[in-house]
Amino acid sequence: MSELVITDLRCNVGDKEILRGVNLTVRSGEVHVIMGPNGCGKSTLAHALTGRPGYTVTGGSVTLDGVELLGLAPSERTRAGLFLALQHPMEVPGVRPVDMLVAAGAQRNEVEATMALEAVNVGLRPELLERFVNVDLSGGERKRAEVVQLGVLKPAFAVLDEIDSGLDVDALGAVARRLEVATKEWGLGVLAITHFRRLLQELTPDVIHVMSAGRVVAEGGPELAEVLERDGYEPFKELSDDRS
Amino acid sequence: MTKFLDTATHWIESQSDAAERRTMLAEFTTTGIPTTTDEVWRYAPLEYFNLDQYSVDAPSLAHAGDALESSIAALGAVVVRTHNGVLQSVEGHLDGLTVEASNHAGSIAGYEDDSFVVLNGALTPGTVALTVAPGSEIRESIVILHSLTTGAAFPRLKVSVGKSASARVIEIWSGGLEALVVPVSEYDLDENASLSVATYQRLDLSAWYVSRTTTTLGRDARMHQSVIGMGAAYDRARNDAVFQGTGAQNELWTTYLGRGTQVHDLRSHQLHNIGRTASRLLSKGAVAEESRSIYTGLIEIERGARRTDARQTNHNLLLSPHAHADTVPNLDIRENDVTCAHASSVGPLDELQRWYLESRGVSRHDAERLMIQGFFNEMLDVLPRDVASVIEADIASQLDGVVVV
Repeated sequence: MSELVITDLRCNVGDKEILRGVNLTVRSGEVHVIMGPNGCGKSTLAHALTGRPGYTVTGGSVTLDGVELLGLAPSERTRAGLFLALQHPMEVPGVRPVDMLVAAGAQRNEVEATMALEAVNVGLRPELLERFVNVDLSGGERKRAEVVQLGVLKPAFAVLDEIDSGLDVDALGAVARRLEVATKEWGLGVLAITHFRRLLQELTPDVIHVMSAGRVVAEGGPELAEVLERDGYEPFKELSDDRS
Repeated sequence: MTKFLDTATHWIESQSDAAERRTMLAEFTTTGIPTTTDEVWRYAPLEYFNLDQYSVDAPSLAHAGDALESSIAALGAVVVRTHNGVLQSVEGHLDGLTVEASNHAGSIAGYEDDSFVVLNGALTPGTVALTVAPGSEIRESIVILHSLTTGAAFPRLKVSVGKSASARVIEIWSGGLEALVVPVSEYDLDENASLSVATYQRLDLSAWYVSRTTTTLGRDARMHQSVIGMGAAYDRARNDAVFQGTGAQNELWTTYLGRGTQVHDLRSHQLHNIGRTASRLLSKGAVAEESRSIYTGLIEIERGARRTDARQTNHNLLLSPHAHADTVPNLDIRENDVTCAHASSVGPLDELQRWYLESRGVSRHDAERLMIQGFFNEMLDVLPRDVASVIEADIASQLDGVVVV
């Protein structure tokens, strides 16, 4: 059983404080979903966790099984077990996915077969992974390629930043099923950021966190999604204001 | 340059066409070594060039060859070996392909203003000529292994592709300890011909390599040229394309990696004499340590060459604060109805791409190595996978020592 613990995480982008003390804990096999209005800091949380340039952590702690991640290089955080699937996966011309994954620690003699299998799992044509990383892939194909990488690297935890955007209904179903299986296969803990309830219909969450103005302001079970659907984020903005 | 000229003159006297060669050598001595005031030599490190370091009659010891040459040779349906520009052997056979060698001086028509080509004309051992017969579609790779030894060498190559014929040529330049290598290559594509040429220059880091290639394209001809520079103290590649028929397309992709105090010097001239022709130039390279790169390229579009589409892109990676890149794209357009674009950049590795790789678990050092290797992989992507893999592995082995600061 692994545990990802985020405590009072604060992060600036430029001079502006975006995260103002985020607290949450994810354990192996759990599916957590973060929802919140535009600009509340959801993607900033994902980027702060993985050390993206331009995102300055100004306070707090992120531990994975007691190991502090914030002092580690981005690659060391991933190797410690924290993987990020990006909202907009980047093109890296000239670099082949297989070489990237081998450099990331995958076994060269197994990786191509595993990639092909994982591609089929999420409805991605395996030959698309022979192209350079994300080059000439559609938005939806890139999202599925991120999940293929996840399936190869088998991290303890995955942060999925709007994995549902750009995916059609069938693709979203395939991705969600793969993630569900992963939670049981190797106990993947999922922290999924989304705007849409549709993902929750495919991927059953254990906990929903509502973010507003850089904080987690409410938590609950799947029923919280229905509240959001009915009332929107406005009531939660007030909670955020109360805490300021 | 007395010492050099003494050996050159001595060598010329042993040739059957000595008179013609003597005339060319005289032209060279009149013109002399170019200067950096000439745009096509701007920024070149000519102050370090000393012709008297070299002699024309250097002993011609056979180059032993290495693992890369053996691996590439095994993938070629026809393997042509030259040594100091002299044809040594032709292994294999392809229907429609002939390989011949002359021992005549090289023509310098059209090159009168390039003193190194004039020197090549005077001192070349002859032209190695590959001819693809009209209508022959050769799908297999034709490999040319050029080996060089110490001294001055003036190789000459001509590849002629007949009407509606196609071929793929892979050239590897190896050896060249303390050598001056001045190759002149011409690629002539007849109507609707198609040619792919990949040149991998991996000479000894002490060599001076001053190359010039000219592609002439007939109507609807298609050329793809990849030029990869890893070796030589001075690696100069001047690659020109001349359009003579409508519908012709030329792509030139070049890349290099600078290490130590290497200088990589790329020049290009895309000359559109006629309309409805297209040229693409993509140059991407990286300079590490105290190395530097130069790019000057000219797109020239003649009046009346309507609907020409010409583009030039040059990106330079600086991997060290002591490395340097000069890039000067030039346009000379005398027609309005054209599409023409150029872009150039000089900067460090893309920080976000590197972070993306790191966020997969790739260490920073490996991410940088992958990205630099990626420059070369893009250029090799047009080659058959097996050939590209061999060259990629050779480049990768040389990247291990490169430090990004």
